[in-house]
Amino acid sequence: MAWDLFLWILSFFISLALIASVFYQVICLTDLEADYLNPFETSSRINRLVIPEFILQGSLCILFLLTWHWVFFLVALPVTCYHAMLYNERRYLIDVTEVFRGISFEKKFRFTKLGFYIFLFVMVVFRLTLSAVYSFTEDDDLLHLF
Amino acid sequence: MGTDKQGYPNFPARPTSSPFASAPPPGIPPQSGGPVPGSDGYRPFPPSASQPTRPFTPSGPPPGPPLGAMRPGQPSPVSPYVSQIPGSRPPPPSLNSFPPTAYGPPGGAPFQRSPPPPFPATQNLPRGPPPTQTLAGHLSPPVSLRPQQPVAPVTMGPPPQSMTSGPPGPNVSPPAADFHMASRPGFPQSMPPVTPSYSQPYTPGYSGTQVLQAPPMPFQTFPPVSSYPPHAGGFAQHPNMAAQQNLHPGYTPPSSNVQGLVEDFNSLSVSSIPGSLDPGVDHKSFPRPLDGDVEPNLFAEMYPMNCHSRYLRLTTSAIPNSQSLASRWHLPLGAVVCPLAETPEGEEVPLIDFGSTGIIRCRRCRTYVNPYVSFTDSGRKWRCNICSMLNDVPGEYFSHLDATGRRMDMDQRPELTKGSVEIIAPTEYMVRPPMPPIYFFLIDVSISATKSGMLEVVAQTIKSCLDNLPGYPRTQIGFITFDSTLHFYNMKSSLSQPQMMVVSDLDDIFIPLPDDLLVNLSESRNVVEAFLDSLPLMFQDNVNVESAFGPALKAAFMVMNQLGGKLLIFQNSLPSLGAGRLKLRGDDPRVYGTDKEYALRGAEDPFYKQMAADCTKFQIGINVYAFSDKYTDIASLGTLAKYTGGQVYYYPGFESSVHGDKLRHELARDLTRETAWEAVMRIRCGKGIRFSSYHGNFMLRSTDLLALPAVDCDKAYAMQLSLEETLLTTQTVYFQVALLYTASCGERRIRVHTSVAPVVADLGEMYRQADTGSIVSVYTRLAIEKSLSTKLDDARNAIQQKIVKALREYRNLHAVQHRLGSRLIYPESLKFLPLYGLAICKSTPLQGGPVDASLDERCAAGFTMMALPVKKLLKLLYPNLFRVDEWLLKPSVNHNDFKDVLRRLPLAAESLDSRGLYIYDDGFRLVWWFGRMLSPDIAKNLLGDDFAAELSRVTLKEQENGMSKKLMRLVKKLRENDPSYHPMCFLVRQGEQPREGFLLLRNLIEDQMGGSTGYVDWILQLHRQVQQNG
Repeated sequence: MAWDLFLWILSFFISLALIASVFYQVICLTDLEADYLNPFETSSRINRLVIPEFILQGSLCILFLLTWHWVFFLVALPVTCYHAMLYNERRYLIDVTEVFRGISFEKKFRFTKLGFYIFLFVMVVFRLTLSAVYSFTEDDDLLHLF
Repeated sequence: MGTDKQGYPNFPARPTSSPFASAPPPGIPPQSGGPVPGSDGYRPFPPSASQPTRPFTPSGPPPGPPLGAMRPGQPSPVSPYVSQIPGSRPPPPSLNSFPPTAYGPPGGAPFQRSPPPPFPATQNLPRGPPPTQTLAGHLSPPVSLRPQQPVAPVTMGPPPQSMTSGPPGPNVSPPAADFHMASRPGFPQSMPPVTPSYSQPYTPGYSGTQVLQAPPMPFQTFPPVSSYPPHAGGFAQHPNMAAQQNLHPGYTPPSSNVQGLVEDFNSLSVSSIPGSLDPGVDHKSFPRPLDGDVEPNLFAEMYPMNCHSRYLRLTTSAIPNSQSLASRWHLPLGAVVCPLAETPEGEEVPLIDFGSTGIIRCRRCRTYVNPYVSFTDSGRKWRCNICSMLNDVPGEYFSHLDATGRRMDMDQRPELTKGSVEIIAPTEYMVRPPMPPIYFFLIDVSISATKSGMLEVVAQTIKSCLDNLPGYPRTQIGFITFDSTLHFYNMKSSLSQPQMMVVSDLDDIFIPLPDDLLVNLSESRNVVEAFLDSLPLMFQDNVNVESAFGPALKAAFMVMNQLGGKLLIFQNSLPSLGAGRLKLRGDDPRVYGTDKEYALRGAEDPFYKQMAADCTKFQIGINVYAFSDKYTDIASLGTLAKYTGGQVYYYPGFESSVHGDKLRHELARDLTRETAWEAVMRIRCGKGIRFSSYHGNFMLRSTDLLALPAVDCDKAYAMQLSLEETLLTTQTVYFQVALLYTASCGERRIRVHTSVAPVVADLGEMYRQADTGSIVSVYTRLAIEKSLSTKLDDARNAIQQKIVKALREYRNLHAVQHRLGSRLIYPESLKFLPLYGLAICKSTPLQGGPVDASLDERCAAGFTMMALPVKKLLKLLYPNLFRVDEWLLKPSVNHNDFKDVLRRLPLAAESLDSRGLYIYDDGFRLVWWFGRMLSPDIAKNLLGDDFAAELSRVTLKEQENGMSKKLMRLVKKLRENDPSYHPMCFLVRQGEQPREGFLLLRNLIEDQMGGSTGYVDWILQLHRQVQQNG
């Protein structure tokens, strides 16, 4: 039981980090559109985050697979596949020279991802509380038994 | 008569007149304000019909007096003739006899039938202000706000009839017609003596039948009372009315009028019989741009304060008023801007220094002061023409307004009279002190560079240009050479010889000494010269074949990033060492036709895009010179030029004996032409529209700011605009291009081009005002961009589809009223569009498949065409072909008379006669085609003793005879026409394969070659597709 709780706490922080990262990227892109940032900074800020995000998301997906939470795994899988595809086609970084051409797509892509991560986050929080409650009640029960 | 016909119908429509007639405020006799421009021409008493300030230049016979006289019944004459008639009016009888007719309401029969025009006159008479002379119902609402301007921006009702002539079709303004109706019946009866003189000038425009035919119908549809409001406030109605009129089906000339039908649009009769070999098409009658590019002059005449079309060309000079209308306009909606276009002598852009006043700009939208702003509140305020914000006029800039509301000091203020000005920018416009002109050279010295002689030519050329580099004495210069190692040169002025430092660690580049790699030219002149002298010798025995291009580029970047400047790269082989090394992905024909095809045309390594972005950030502009005969991946190298506002020069298989002159000339041009440094460009436009995409060689710094580290007169940028609001409420739209740059002399300047275009509600009007050159320019860029992300086939089809859609929409526009049958119809303004579309599909970047052009050639041509100004692009797409042998044989009288010979021929094999000598000139090369039966004398005279030899080995040299001298004069003349590139001469004899096919036959774009379509088939294809889904 303690392992289960640990897993959910870990997933909780990972998905929180993913949300934060994507949210930050979206902010950067809107700033670029509003001319608060220049393309050079925007792309360097975003590109810095892309690979860590991919790795986090991928490891979360694998974590679900290994712990055999197949519902969560299936939910996380499409994004992982999409990331892998982007990486293979070398399209995962923002192209600094053509930022403005692709900005609407990049924004949509990140908004979708944000929604998805939030969904994942809610599910994770749910399971986290559930498992926490279980573990505590069990413990309590044990205590009461004494 | 033809020109008259064209010219005349315009005048009633000219918007210029209306504001002025209305300009004089109450109580001031208009004629007292002598300088009021534009007013004279329309008064019945022409005190100075030919005043220089007249806002338009008539194309036909002097239009002023006849025009004024044409409509004596109008309101405006009223006050004039109260105060001034007696002396100044040339034909007194008309005056004297006129008032009675005008005043007598029950007058003659004609007036009863068509009373309105004369009547307002009578009604207005008692009022103080000289009533408006409503010419054509194209009056601008802002008229009252800026009456002092020679031309108020107004809606263009009827277009200058550039394409239609004769019948007052839908594009002739109704009120104008009203006047004719009104005055016609009136005059002949009441004042016979006047009629001849007055009626004559306008009859050509409205040929008798038409004037008589066009019945009083307009009167019924439009109560004229409302169409001649005495006050400016009422004018706003007019454009709408004009628009309604345009749309009003009843108003088009009677459809029985065959002539009118023909003149309304152009058509090609295409009776395509399926399966028939003979298409039944007279291809000789197809339109061909044999006169070159025709600029939309009429538009410029209408708005004389617009900047010249060499700086800004709209794809259509009529902006759609709604999104739905814009969506029916399938052609691009946008502009091509060439901010620094070369000016002919005498038309230089005036330089303005606002001094301590500071630059006058709108507080809200940051528009620069321009001829279209209006001053109010006795000169203390000015209204921005783009956002209509009321701004204060700074104290130093204040000037009283004269009686007409025009600033007194107008004539001393070029920014208020000229569409293009250059303003000296104060320190607020600098983030750092203006940079000096900097030229940095990155030269490949590997074995191929020395073998081909490139190194020698480059060193000589740079040396010869040292005196002419712009910006003396601040100019800075520096060099890096590289093969498998990097060589830096210390050029400190105290040295007598440059010191060379070799860096061989390519993974961790460092700069061997902090200063003195980039030195002031005037101080270190001797060292630089010594270096250039010794450069070819130093490396003549170099056998290194590697190229550490990427590290060298990084090193150059590290040297330059303090100041920026121009980086010239001379690259001779595929980068093979260090960062940015490229693979020989080359010309693999198997890739063509697959989904991966386009990847070849993009940069392979992200290193190049990243470097380009970094360079732009630090104001470094890159020009790439590539020389290899093997694959060098221009697609990747060119990326550097593309995003730093530079250009690519490609000399495949460079040999100094062959290409030396070309390189010398083009490098010299690159080094010595006036260059704008650390520039940014922005184009502003009125509310409701927005520039949404930009195409060309630059990098976008923010959504609408183009970063151009180094820009010059040979660069143009295309942009497309979109409507943000569903409906535009304004009558006109203003565009203002502002280029902020550092001139070579060290001054920070802003070049401002202002232009206005009317907003229309009629699709036909948009077609009439379309500018083929500009549209083709945008299309070319779109197609090249598309070829970077799709297959060539798709890019070509996209062009075809766009043209088909546009023609189909135009057909639908006319299909209701006319029986079109099997004719392909198109507006006069777009008559060359199909041919240019074909030319785009057959241009080097887009043509055929893998065998037609090497990948490098394609990419190099693509990068070049992305930057070309309109005229040069059109010449490249549809090159000149002319026959010279007859001209050569003719004893010439005048040495410089090239008119005869420069008569262009259609680009088809049937233009070539085997007895002739032809020149094919596309601006980049001159191909001389010697017919098989060409008289040997000519060949001998021109080529000397090698006339029988294989022509690929022969170069054209001046021989000691008149004919050869004459020819060389012609070549010189052709080259002088366009100094931006140096066309190289290629000689080819008829039947000399494969050179002939490669050099000339393949470029005869009207012919069917291999898998490509000929002109006739192309037209048939277009026609079929237009009809299919019509």
